[in-house]
Formats: sequence, structure tokens, C-alpha cells
Amino acid sequence: MTERPTPTPAPVPEDRTYAVGELTRVEGEGSLHLVVRGGEIVEARLGIFEAPRYFEALVVDRTPDEVIDIVARICGICPVAYQMSAVHAFEDLFGVAIDPSVRALRRLLYCGEWIESHALHIWLLHAPDFLGYPSAIAMAADHRERVEAALRAKKAGNDLLRLLGGRPIHPVSVRVGGWSRAPRRSELLALRPALADGLAIAQETTRFVASLPMPAFAREPRLVSLRHPDEYPFNHGRIVSSDGIDIPMADWRSIFEEHQVEGSNALHARTLDGKGAYLLGPAARVTLTGGTLHPLAREALDQSGFAELIRTNIYASIVARGVELIHAYAEALDLIDAYVPPSVPLAAWEPRAGVAAWATEAPRGLLFHRYVVDDRGRIREAQIVPPTSQNQAAIEADLVVAAREVLALPHAEATHRLEQMIRSYDPCISCATHFLDLTIDRA
Amino acid sequence: MVMTPPPPAPLPALAGPRFLSRDGIQPLLDLLRADGRRVIGPTVADGAIVMDEIVSADQLPRGWGDDQAPGRYRLVRREDDRLFGYNLGPSSPKAWTFPSLVPISRATRSEGKVTFDPVLPEPPKIAFLGIRACEIAALRIHDRVLQGGPFVDTDYAARRADTLIVAVGCTVSAPTCFCTSMGSGPELTAGHDLAIVETEDGLLVEAATPAGETLLAALAARVATPEERARATHEVAATRARIGDPVALPGLKERLLAQPDHPRWAEVAERCITCGSCTSVCPTCFCTSVTQTTDLAGADVVMNRTWDSCFSPSFAKVAGGSFRSRPRDRYRQWLTHKLATWEDQFGTPGCVGCGRCVTWCPVGIDLREEAAAIAPVRPPEPVIAPVAATPGAFAVGRVSAVRSETADTTTLAIDRLDPAFAAGRPGQFAMVDLPGFPPLPISISRFTADGLVLTIRGAGPATRVLCGLQPGDEVGLRGPLGTAWPLDRVAGRDLVIVTGGIGLAPLRPVLDAVVADRERFGSVRLYYGARTPADLLFRDELEGIWPHAGIEVALTVDRAGSDWSGPVGVVTHLFDRATWDGSATHAFVCGPERMMQATVAALAARGIGAARTWVTLERHMECGIGLCGHCQMGSLFICKDGPVFSIAQLGDTFGREGI
Amino acid sequence: MASSAAPARPRVGVVKMASCDGCQLTILDLEERLLDVTERFEILDFPEASSARSAGPFDVLFIEGSISDPHQAERIVELRARTRYLVTIGACATAGGIQALRNWGDHAAFRDAVYARPEWVASLDRSLPVADLVPVDAELRGCPIDPDQLLELLAALATGRRPQLRDESVCQECKRRGAVCVAVAKGVPCLGQVTQGGCGAICPRYGRGCYGCFGPREGANVDGLLRHLTADLGHDPAEAGRLLAGFTAWAQPFRSAIDATGGAPEGSRRSLPMAPEAARRAAQEGAR
Repeated sequence: MTERPTPTPAPVPEDRTYAVGELTRVEGEGSLHLVVRGGEIVEARLGIFEAPRYFEALVVDRTPDEVIDIVARICGICPVAYQMSAVHAFEDLFGVAIDPSVRALRRLLYCGEWIESHALHIWLLHAPDFLGYPSAIAMAADHRERVEAALRAKKAGNDLLRLLGGRPIHPVSVRVGGWSRAPRRSELLALRPALADGLAIAQETTRFVASLPMPAFAREPRLVSLRHPDEYPFNHGRIVSSDGIDIPMADWRSIFEEHQVEGSNALHARTLDGKGAYLLGPAARVTLTGGTLHPLAREALDQSGFAELIRTNIYASIVARGVELIHAYAEALDLIDAYVPPSVPLAAWEPRAGVAAWATEAPRGLLFHRYVVDDRGRIREAQIVPPTSQNQAAIEADLVVAAREVLALPHAEATHRLEQMIRSYDPCISCATHFLDLTIDRA
Repeated sequence: MVMTPPPPAPLPALAGPRFLSRDGIQPLLDLLRADGRRVIGPTVADGAIVMDEIVSADQLPRGWGDDQAPGRYRLVRREDDRLFGYNLGPSSPKAWTFPSLVPISRATRSEGKVTFDPVLPEPPKIAFLGIRACEIAALRIHDRVLQGGPFVDTDYAARRADTLIVAVGCTVSAPTCFCTSMGSGPELTAGHDLAIVETEDGLLVEAATPAGETLLAALAARVATPEERARATHEVAATRARIGDPVALPGLKERLLAQPDHPRWAEVAERCITCGSCTSVCPTCFCTSVTQTTDLAGADVVMNRTWDSCFSPSFAKVAGGSFRSRPRDRYRQWLTHKLATWEDQFGTPGCVGCGRCVTWCPVGIDLREEAAAIAPVRPPEPVIAPVAATPGAFAVGRVSAVRSETADTTTLAIDRLDPAFAAGRPGQFAMVDLPGFPPLPISISRFTADGLVLTIRGAGPATRVLCGLQPGDEVGLRGPLGTAWPLDRVAGRDLVIVTGGIGLAPLRPVLDAVVADRERFGSVRLYYGARTPADLLFRDELEGIWPHAGIEVALTVDRAGSDWSGPVGVVTHLFDRATWDGSATHAFVCGPERMMQATVAALAARGIGAARTWVTLERHMECGIGLCGHCQMGSLFICKDGPVFSIAQLGDTFGREGI
Repeated sequence: MASSAAPARPRVGVVKMASCDGCQLTILDLEERLLDVTERFEILDFPEASSARSAGPFDVLFIEGSISDPHQAERIVELRARTRYLVTIGACATAGGIQALRNWGDHAAFRDAVYARPEWVASLDRSLPVADLVPVDAELRGCPIDPDQLLELLAALATGRRPQLRDESVCQECKRRGAVCVAVAKGVPCLGQVTQGGCGAICPRYGRGCYGCFGPREGANVDGLLRHLTADLGHDPAEAGRLLAGFTAWAQPFRSAIDATGGAPEGSRRSLPMAPEAARRAAQEGAR
């Protein structure tokens, strides 16, 4: 990008431009153009300028296992999500029979990623907004114990990822058919104390964030997530919405589409029915499939008193994330207790030509993959729709709402509030490779 | 001839061998553990038999074996349920006596003061179960290197102070084994507390130390029967025979150190990835670096002794660069240290012949082949003194039988010869003289009790006259002359023979030796080509005796009529699609030189390298004893230094025109 | 880095170019050691972690990501001018990353394959390692980097010594950890022999072949490995070459070997016609 935002003083009271530097404590880079005329927000646009990396072209001619390695690199924060959507898509197409323990280990791997990602977001990216610090590092000066506990809790998730996948970022063991190595039961049991400690920290964290003052905000978004009758959705379920969508995940394209917007290097997603923005992520999941939360997570949600606010106030997503963090620890502990090493860690498979399509729940929302595969199992065409692309329209819609609330505030406070709102989405830098710059143009 | 070192005499047994059933191993494990020891033994993990802590006999690799070749290892199921029916895997006792990373010191720095606190080892009491003679030899080498000199590695010494060894004598061998050459096995001689030899009956256990005796007494096993003892002795002896003597150790040090500039160093460096796998799996390689883990201030430092490798670029680096910057330098450093300079430093070679560096080299470089190519042994002198080995002298022999092989080839049996002729070896030849004709070198196609057999193709005036001799006719003979096919090297291994036309004649004594002692060799395959079906020699053997003896015979001809249903074409086509693995196979090749060139190339492509490919060369010879100069080729006289050579020995003179 | 002791509290920046953020996340994933690091180093600019911003100058600047658009190409030069000791972190910054596979192809075709309106997208036709544009003082390899190597580098920076980053192969780490060689025991193609260690041999320990994410080691004999895979083991040359066409494909000698074998996958090598997916998107754009 060529145009860099610079701190600009307000020259003329009637025609002011507010500019904030690059949005920080989000993953990635982008810009926001906010036009205010006569007190009305007439335009709120998110531009995505980060250099594209062309993953959908890079996977062409690759084998399914190579694709699993490659698509992980879309995002360093949620690589497992990319591996999961891809591996399930291929196994579904090839008709691979999966050992029940292999399936359980994949849920466990996803627990590890949710812990890592949610703990990172709550404590290192989002909480400093509520407590008035530029960073968790600065926050540690006054809240050392809290920050240390948070880092410890996050480590438990990373250790789980490391055991299952060799390393927390870009793990290596997920293969079509199962695992290149399945853990021993004793190795998993060794992680139990740290996860139990993490669970307690998550419970305390959720109580704490629910006690924080939430900025006023109200919008009823259209919510979309996976839903499964028996389990909180990671890898399986149907795509459902708050207004009645209920389709198999492979049919994503029957309801949604991507389109390109000038000034953005990411493709935006929208529904074909013209209703526009929809919201993915913790708030959507907790609202749409809260009944399948682990009892400990459900209990925390009920006690927080946020079940309703989570749906309408985007700032409250930090509580939804806390609830899901509890769920991830609690389910990880249950899965470890019930673990029996798979009798077939890695099932054999034969490639088959066709379309492989699957969606899973990344920490920040539904992640859809679709591959056209030839008879040798090589990829001919790929479509990857990350959650942040899908959330962009909702972010823009929410900015219009949030801007109305904050225009009366002093400059610094207003801009901080808008940043905080954008962070509430946990937008994934890496997924959409975005570069957010926020400018408010008050004409 | 380089003699195989005789097996060292076993120590006097402190108690006679006892017999344990295979299930009797668990009580032994229990005893060792009750003694407060961690038992480190074999178990199957990640596609190999590795050493790990053993608490139950169920962890032992019962019924498992392995298939090893340069750069290749596969677990295979055995047809029996032996506990120790496997060859060594990648891990060795080194991982416990000399671990890959050991903290040796903690250093701190505070306000200008420094302190160093050596980390005192608290090694676990260990019992090794199932280690082999070569591994005990490796421990002996480490004892010498790490605690046998003026300076002692304290961590190693502490770990070795109380190591109990339950060793296993080898009744199996891999094609990568060469303990016999290095004098380190397969028999257990010293260094162990208990010795086990496993046979089809079960386990024969013998104590070698008081500690072993105590264990054996507690096991309350019965004394082994003489039959059980005999079977155990036989199985270990058979292992020695199978391994043969793959590396010519005598003089190897001098021969290697004489070749710092041999072109082969550069050739092997093109294959070598310098990954250091060989040094890591070697049970004697001891090179290390001290790595440090520090806090951010550098005030609290732990120093770790960490395995390193002379194959890493930085291993010999100083400011300004590395002393061994080229891969060839590093390979030469390693090989010459293992096999030569180690001896100057520590009194023995640094190699025990376990073969791990051969199997676990990811690109399959075979140290034995490299050593043989870089430091070739002059082919051994014939063990017998040839008869009439002066110019002008010939012994007289009598034609006892004549057999027409083909239209132009005749076999003459000669008897009433000096007995020295009968002591000749396969591949040797004789100078045959019929007064009035020039003397001719003729391959000996069989040795008999009182003479030999010559097979002659009547291609010129002299040979046509020889073909026409009748029983009772006499000829002059000098011999047997020249070098022989290296049957000792091939013993226990697979052999491929590729030959064409009359070239089968000097190879027939090899096949006779195989038929006489079939067990001595692995698989034997004969690929033989002739111009037409009518030109095939030795039909009785080709079609009856050899196949019946378990020799795989494949024939081809250049031209065929309707009476031929076999393959037509050049001999190398016979194994184009064969599935055998050449990585541990030897090849004997004899035929026209163009045919041999093509064959050597085809064999090389199948993994039979230059040091395992042997040819016999034909040149004009008049004396057969290196005095007339006719058969000179480069630095060699074919008659005296040959006619059997390895391709490694010939180097690039083989197949070169005009030499 | 100067051999004299580093300043008491070096001022540090962490910035990204084209990347997935995994390497800078490794800094935050130092977990219980993170606060020690922030006490010993002054974090001047680290947008992923802090809203407090600075344009430098920096004593130490960590660069994640490859240079892949015109703005990044300008920015890296500006950053270099404000930095004393510049460290590239990860396969993207040190080798161009997985996105450097496009360097074999027709960049316009790539853009067209993904975007319906490619004229709205600005990017360079190649994804380059940082060292192709500015001098680099140190690098941490890997996709992502290894946390222990990161700590070692930080400790070295804090005390002004040379970091201990060994130049050995993955094989040596593999053997030190007692793992069984997957190439020898399972016949799995493995790049460990030609790849720089530092990861702890994760892939072979997890039952699969190394895919070279730490990049080629000094003097890597890639030709020898490829000869073995093709001549001795019978792999197709292009398939063997493809093994190298991963996260450090653009680093030499991997790059030349990919060229020599024709190992660049079709997706990176062919001038793709507009992919059906992009065509569909374009049609939708046109319809509106």
C-alpha cells in the first residue's frame, strides 16, 4: 500500500479528519475509511491491503497431504483450523473410515488451538483495552499475577498442540486418514495438571471479564455457525443461522458467496439472499449452540448473566470467548480421561476425483474449504473462505453503529473505542492478511 | 591370502551353561529390576528394533527379525518365536553410557565473580539386555578413549562403574555385519556378566562373572544338555561363516593412510550428504561439543556435552573458515579416523564392524566398499606354489578324457599331474604348451582329484589342435596361475554370476564349490548367454545339477531357431526386471570385454558396487608369471596380478581403450 | 553485531511483511519466559502485541515475512536505515516463504486465479527474502521459528555474544533424540539430510519425512540426495524435485534443484488460465 495514515491534528472544527495509526493487537494490517457528514456515518469501509499470498493457486497440483501442510501457513494463530477443514474435506471425498480415537484426538487438537487462540486474544490482545493499557506487557507492571496466570493457561494449550502435532504453530502430524503419530496415554495424562490449572484460570478469567464495564452497543446481527446435536461444534455439524438457515456444510455455496471489493486484497463473503452481513465466531456459537456447551462452560455463561448481551453487544464477545475457553479445557480433560490409543492411527486411502468440501469452526468462526480433486488426488482448483472475510461486512455494519455511539466522545477516546470494537471480532491478520488503518473523515 | 582372525578363546566358564525356556526371561528381568537396575533392552518401536527400558518380557521383539542392506532397514516377521532373532537396530548402549546431551557444569557470574559447579552425575544403575559382542567391543573402546588415559570423562566413568551386561551371542547376521573382520564377534568372549545363546531349543545362559553367577544361581535353571550346547556352538559358528571376512583388516591402516589423494574420496563425496547419521549411530564415535543454555543475562549457564559430528561444517571451523571445508575432506577424516588413525591413538581400530553406519546411511554408502576401493588389497598370492613356474619349464600331463561341448569347443580332462595342480582355486588358469605351438593361457574349468579339466574353444590354429587331442596324448602345463574368485568374501552372501560363451569355463569351479557346500552361500544366480542354443556349454550342469542344487539359472541366446523357447538377447536383459536387491550382493563376471563393460554398468545400477563386482580379464600371455611383459595393463600384469580383479581395483583402466 | 556489550536494555521492534504471523507469535508463545524478555528488552514497536507505537530507531529489529509488494520493498529499506541489528525470522523472511512458489510462474496468472478484479491488487511479481533487498545481521530459520533458538538469540543479544545456532543437519538432531530414521526404516523420502537443524527433528519424530522448513544447510548436497531418490530408489525426478518445492523452495540450492528436475508444481509453474473459481467471481461482479 502506498498511503500511510499519519497522525493529523484536527484543522477545522467543521471538517475534521481523525486518524489512528495502524490498528494494533489485531492480527494483520488493513485500513478503515469512515465518512461522517452532518453527524451521519455515510460510509464505513474496511480496506485490506496486505500483500496477497495466493494460497488458492499454490495448492493447485498438490497432493492432499501437501495441502494440509500448505494451508496451515495461511494463519500462524489458527493453523489447526485450516488443517481440519482440509483433512475432513478430503476424507469425506475419499470415503476414509476414521478410527473413533482419531476423531477424538482431532477434537483434542482443536481444543488446544482454541485454548491458545482464545487465551491469547482475551489476555494479550483484548483485555488491555478494558483495563486501559497499551499491551499485556504494560499491564503486567500492575497485574503481574493475572498476566502470569494467563501465560500459564495459554501454555497448557500450546503444550497440548505440541504433544499432538510436534509444535504448536504449524503442527505436522495431521494426515489424511489420521495421524502420522498418535500420542501415548501416559503422555496425555502428563498434561492433565496444567490443563486443570488452565480450567481454573479460565473460570476465574470469565468471571473477571464479565465484571468489566462494557461499552454501550446494540445491534441484532445475523448469526451463523456449525451446529451438531451432540457436541459443541469443532469438526462436524450443519451450517445454521439465527434466522433459519440449516444446510449441510458442503453446501456453503448454496447460501453464501465471495466477492471482491475495491481497495481490499481480501475477498468478502455475503449471503446470496441479499440480507448482507452475518456474524461468525464465539458469540454466534454460544448463542446458536449453547446447549451443547460443556456443563462447566454453560454454568459459567449462566452465572455471567451475559447470555443475552453476547448476542447484541459485540464488545461482550470477550465473555463468550471466556466461556469457550472453559469449554476447551473441560472437554480436553474429558477427552484425555477417555483416551484409548487408536487401533489404526493412520488409515490407508485411495484418491478419488470429485469435489471435497468441508467447514469447521476456527476460533474466530466458520472456515469453509472446497477443493476440486482429480483422479490422482491432485488439486485442480481451491476455494478457501476464512472467517474474517465473512465477518468483514458485519464489522463494517457494526462500525456504523459504534461510530454513532462514540462521535460525541473526545477524539482519543472515540478512536480507542472503535479499535476496541474491531478487536472484539478477533480479526485474523493472517487469514485474510489484512492491514487495518483507521481514519475517520468527518466532512 | 588374508586369514580370518581365529575366534578368540572363550574365558573359562565359572559355571556350565544352563538352559532357560524363552519364557524364562521374565524371571531374569525381575531379578535385574529387583537389584535396582533399569533394564535396557530391545523392543519394537517406530518400525525398528530399538533399545529402551524393558520392564516386561512382553516388550521384547519375540518373533521379529529384520532385513538390512546399505541404506535400508525393514522389520520382518520371523517364522519362529525367538526373542533375539534380530540384528542390531539403530540404537546402541552409547545412548545410555554416553548420552547425546549431558549437563556437565553449571556456571554463574555475579558482580564480577564467576563460579563453576561441575554437575555430578547420578547415573541410574543399568543392566543391558541383549547386546552383542560387537557392542561390548564398542564399550571396551569407549572405556579406553574416555577413561583409559590420563584424563577421564567423569560422567562416562560414573555410568560405566556399575553396568551389568546380559549379552547375546549372535545366531543371526545381517549383510551389513563385519564383526568377523574387525575381530569383535560374533562370539561373546569377555566384558559381559551373563552370556545367552538362543537356539531353536531356547536360551543357553552362561555366567562369566560372580555377578552373573549370582543371577544364574537365582534362576535355578537346569544344566544344558550336550546336544543343546552343541547346537548353540554350531549356530554361532554358522554366523561367523555367513559373515565371512568382508573387510581386509591386515595392513588396512597403512593402505588407507597411503591414499590421501585417491580420486575415490571425491567420488564418495558426491554421494555423501554429510548428514552425520553414520557418526550418530556409530557405537564408538565420541566427538562432542559443549553447548550452553543460558538465562538472558548470561549470568546463569548450564554447559551440556552434546554429540557432534565431524561431518558438520562448523566442527573444524575457526575464525577464517573450516579446516575441512569440502565434503571429501570430512569423509576422509571420518573413514581414516575409524579405520586407521584411531589405532595410533588408542591401540585398536575405532570400528567394531556392527554395520550401523552402512544400514543407516540414508544414501547407502558402504564403508566396506569405500575402504576396499580406496585401499585395495593386492589380490592374495596363490596359496600353492605353481608347478613349472620358470620360463621354459612345463610339467607333463596326460589327456584322460575328451568331451565335445559344442561344434567348436572341447573339454579335456588331464590327469597324472603334480598334486599341486589339484590344489588350485576357482578362476586360476594354466599355460598349456604343445611343442611346436606357442604356449596358451587356458582357464581351468574344473579341479579333479588327480588333475584338472580344461575347456578350450578352437578359435585359432593352436587351440584347434588342442581341441583335437585324444585320450592318452600328453601336453605341457604350467600352473595353476593367477588370482582366484574371492569365495571367502562371498561366503554367507548372495552371488550373481554373469557370463557369456566360453566365459562360463573359469566360473564352473565356482559353481562346483557352491554345489559342494550349498549352505556356505546365500542365493546364487547364474545368468549365461551364448550365440545360439547349440553354443551353450555344460548342458548337464545348466539343466540338471545346478538348478537341483538351488542355483537359479537363466539362459539367453543371440539367435535361436524353433527349438528354443527361452529368452533371446543380451545377457543383461536377463536381470533387467529381476527383483533381487543388489545392495549386499557380489558379482562374478566373465565374457568378452564389451559384454563385461555393459554388465558392470547394469550391475552398478542395481546396487552392486565396484568393490563387489569381480571380472576376469583376458590378455595376450606367453609366460603366465609376469616375466614376458605381454599382458601388462597399467600397473598390473594380468597373468600375475589377475586375471580376477575387482572393478574397484581396476578403477578407470577397466574398459578404457588402448591400455 | 558489535562485539562490545549490548546496551543495557536494547530497544526492539517486531514488524511483519507477507507472512502468517506464526513467527512473531512465537515471541508471545515464550510463555513464562516472555516477561523476562520484556524486562531485559524495551519493546519499542510490536503492533501485534501493543498499541504503543514507535518508528525507531531500533537496536534490534525482528522482521517476519517476505517482501512481496512495492510498499514492503520501500519499507524494508526505511526500516534498515533505522536499525542497528536486523534479524529476519522464519522461512518467509529468510527464504521467501511458501508464497515464493509464485516466483516460478506468471504472477499475473496467479493474481487472476484468485481475484476477479486483479487490477485492484498491487503486488510484486516475486516474493523475496529480506536479504535480497537489505543487509541482514542474523537469521532464525523455520516455519515457524523454534522458541529455543529465539531465546538463545535473545540471550546472545542481551550479553553481546555470538548466538549458538548450529549448522548441523536435521539427522543429527533426529539421532540425538533417539528417533528411528524414517528414510531408512520406512522408505519415506526425507529432506532431513540436506536441511538445517534447529527444529528438534519434529517431523521424523512424528513419523514423517522432513519437509525442509528450516531451509538448506550450508553446502547441502541436494544433487546427491536427488540422485539417491531417483537412481537408487526409483522415484520420478520431478516428484523428487517437488519435495523441495515447499516453504524454503526459493533458497539455494533447493531452487536450482527444483529447476533441474522440473519439480515446481503446476500451480506455481503454469500460466494458469483464469481458474473457474475466479471466473465465477468475475461473472458475479459483472452481473452486478
